[in-house]
Amino acid sequence: MSTATLERSATKPRYIVCEGNEAAALAVALARPDMVSVYPITPQSSLVEHVAKLVADGRLDADIVDAEGEHSVLSVLQGASLAGGRTYTATCGPGLAFMFEPYFRTSGMRLPIVMTIVTRDGITPQSVWGGHQDAMTVREVGWIQIYCESVQEVLDTTIMAFKIAEHHDVMLPVNICVDGNYLSYGSARVEVPEQAAVDAFMGVKNVNWHAALDPLRPMGVDPLTGGAGGKGPSAFVRYRKGQCQGMQNALRVITEVHEEYARCFGRSYAPLVEQYRMEDAAIALMTIGSMTGAAKDAVDEARQAGTRVGIIKIKTFSPFPIDALVAALGKVEAIGVVDRSVAFRWNCGPMYQETLGALYRLGRHVPAASFIGGLAGADMTVEHFHRVIRDTEALRHGRLSAGPIWLNEND
Amino acid sequence: MGRAYNTIAFDAAKCDGCGDCMRACARAKTGGEDVARSRIQIAAGSTGFELALCRQCGDPRCVAVCPAGALAKDGQSGIIGWDAGKCVDCLLCTLGCAYAGIALDEATGRVAKCDTCEGSPACVPACPHGALKHHTTARIYNEVGDWEDLFAPGLAGCQGCNTELLMRHTLRRVGPDTVLATPPGCVPGMGSVGYNGMAGTKVPVFHPLLTNTAAMLAGVKRQFNRAGRKVTALAIAGDGGASDAGFQSLSGAAERGEQILFMVVDNEGYMNTGMQRSSATPYGAWTSTTPVGRESKGKTQDAKNLPLLMVNHRCAYVATASTAYMDDLYDKLDRAIVAAETGFAYLHVYSPCTTGWRFPTDQNMEVARKAVETNFVMLWEYTPEQGLHLSRSVDDPLPVTDYLKVMGRFRHLSPEQVQHIQAKVEENRAFVQQISQQSQAPREPSRFAGHGGDYGKGDAPRS
Repeated sequence: MSTATLERSATKPRYIVCEGNEAAALAVALARPDMVSVYPITPQSSLVEHVAKLVADGRLDADIVDAEGEHSVLSVLQGASLAGGRTYTATCGPGLAFMFEPYFRTSGMRLPIVMTIVTRDGITPQSVWGGHQDAMTVREVGWIQIYCESVQEVLDTTIMAFKIAEHHDVMLPVNICVDGNYLSYGSARVEVPEQAAVDAFMGVKNVNWHAALDPLRPMGVDPLTGGAGGKGPSAFVRYRKGQCQGMQNALRVITEVHEEYARCFGRSYAPLVEQYRMEDAAIALMTIGSMTGAAKDAVDEARQAGTRVGIIKIKTFSPFPIDALVAALGKVEAIGVVDRSVAFRWNCGPMYQETLGALYRLGRHVPAASFIGGLAGADMTVEHFHRVIRDTEALRHGRLSAGPIWLNEND
Repeated sequence: MGRAYNTIAFDAAKCDGCGDCMRACARAKTGGEDVARSRIQIAAGSTGFELALCRQCGDPRCVAVCPAGALAKDGQSGIIGWDAGKCVDCLLCTLGCAYAGIALDEATGRVAKCDTCEGSPACVPACPHGALKHHTTARIYNEVGDWEDLFAPGLAGCQGCNTELLMRHTLRRVGPDTVLATPPGCVPGMGSVGYNGMAGTKVPVFHPLLTNTAAMLAGVKRQFNRAGRKVTALAIAGDGGASDAGFQSLSGAAERGEQILFMVVDNEGYMNTGMQRSSATPYGAWTSTTPVGRESKGKTQDAKNLPLLMVNHRCAYVATASTAYMDDLYDKLDRAIVAAETGFAYLHVYSPCTTGWRFPTDQNMEVARKAVETNFVMLWEYTPEQGLHLSRSVDDPLPVTDYLKVMGRFRHLSPEQVQHIQAKVEENRAFVQQISQQSQAPREPSRFAGHGGDYGKGDAPRS
């Protein structure tokens, strides 16, 4: 773990070595939230510890609320957000499950709360290790969900998340999904931007212009809609439709914010879908999160051996970037989709399931296979991705697997 | 808004016809002992003693029939005054009054009537049995009535519900610089959060989850503290949302000392959703999920004592109150508002439910009063500095059956069940009294104590 520190007086970007959880905490401090509510849970704990230390050291002027559980963690932030505060928290796995009741409501109230999910596999089977099952399970609840590949990307995306969430065309909560264990505890060199530059990037805070709990602007927040002998379901439909529209607007805003961030700080990431060596690819691997590094190494080796393979990495998973994915698929003849979690109902990975929907928009048939790996913290190696490449190449030639391929089945 | 007036009330059950009140009146008004000249008259009737006394009616017949304009109701005091200079001694007023409240004084040949001795009637303290009371709560209602009603008109409560009274009075007192949270239950059900795009209050209001009221309010309050603004964070929650699903967030907020005024309207069940059992439902009570059948008859467990649990959090302020004792309630509300500026203030109000408890809609206050008079519920307040103090004497309670019999939800009780409830009442009284007796610090003077309310000197804590 890192012991490096960020100098408040720094006028130039600083380079430090730190774990993903500390990178997230440093980014939170740079974004200057008013309130951070915390409850510890593995593998998120060190993240909120870092935030608490930043507050204790006077390097972050925020009200830190040690709530008695994740349900209250998010509830405290809902109140603070409605009163005009910028808000942040982090959780994972069982904590996210416990938080579900206010979690569902956050997007409906259009509260731009930012929350890191340091992803963890779902219990039971009992496990405290990484996996995407927690974040994937709540993918359909109206939060924006953005997955990171590296520690540097965790820092940069965390800053961007506030700007995306608070954009007036979006006004939706954002999850930054950080692979538990691999990114949370993995240390790497990161560049920390200077505070003044981040302040200029963030602009003016105005998070409760749409709905406020403020005696100067009294209103009934989230009144009962529909029924009651009144206007019928139209108010409910208007709100729900607005949520869906906000999600669609987010695709544009996420892209714009990434472009602006690149201009301000010199680091750019594909905001929705990254294409890696896709220029003449006959087959594509689809990846998400930190597994992508090993996948890129495998693709580099396979390319050297003559296989025309590339990678489509999903960064923004919710809203699902259908158009960007369809554009990336180009002339691909087979796809191997690698998930770090499962979709129980379809006996496959969730990203695979979503991709099937996007393929309908493509207008031609492309064979696709579901690979499931990295459950409960299992390592996903270059060798695993060579297998994915081999199986996807076979699929291209018509050899279909009956069900999902479980990459760590015999590890 | 119309004015409320003080009144002399008579409890026939406590009267033994001794005549002390009449002698006191005669002395005060005539300087003699002739009870015939007293303006209060006690007479034996067929079922007990009856009262002949001016009711200071709102629509007085005596005034209407007077041909000389000698009788008139005073708008400020409510007293019907008699003008000797204008009176022509026709005695028509004595025929008009149905209460024998104005009568001929044969010693003078003129009429005489009660004028409440300028607000301090001589008859009331003279009664050795407490059968006469001078109710002075009118002053509170008038004071409150001058404050702005911050709820929308026409809330959709059940007929006879006292929660609307509580909501309106509380918000009037707390005032406009408030953020109000009303979690699912009767309060939002009545329309506090609004219907059809209209707000139910003039203060910012929201409808938190049943489970997260205290946490969400904590976030609101802390953010205003950061902004340097003074805003009261007020919850009006039901017993279910506070003692069951919402208990974790309530407990957490209390432990952290969040600056919240958390009021629980305890109607002992999930009344808004159809009268289901909560952990605050008392033993033996019928609810729709503790029905009465061949195998079981009502709830089989005792109620959770939430206010005592809050005492164990050492909140800045904890108190129990009842809408039958509004002066006491107001006193406590004032203290809770102050306490919530620095810590967690918890106010638990017992609120009978005419629909769910099954009693006539005009009996709400009577049921609330009987609950207190039988010690079924106990009124007290607690601060960490002064400990727990009883708000009224609990040493001479009515039997609990006096409370149980006035409503339908206990109609099925067996003698054993009644015995269980009576024993529980005794146990709870002993428990609370024990805590109270360990609290030696004197209670601060009540805001209303100087105004002769029900909580005068006679009801001082006996610790």
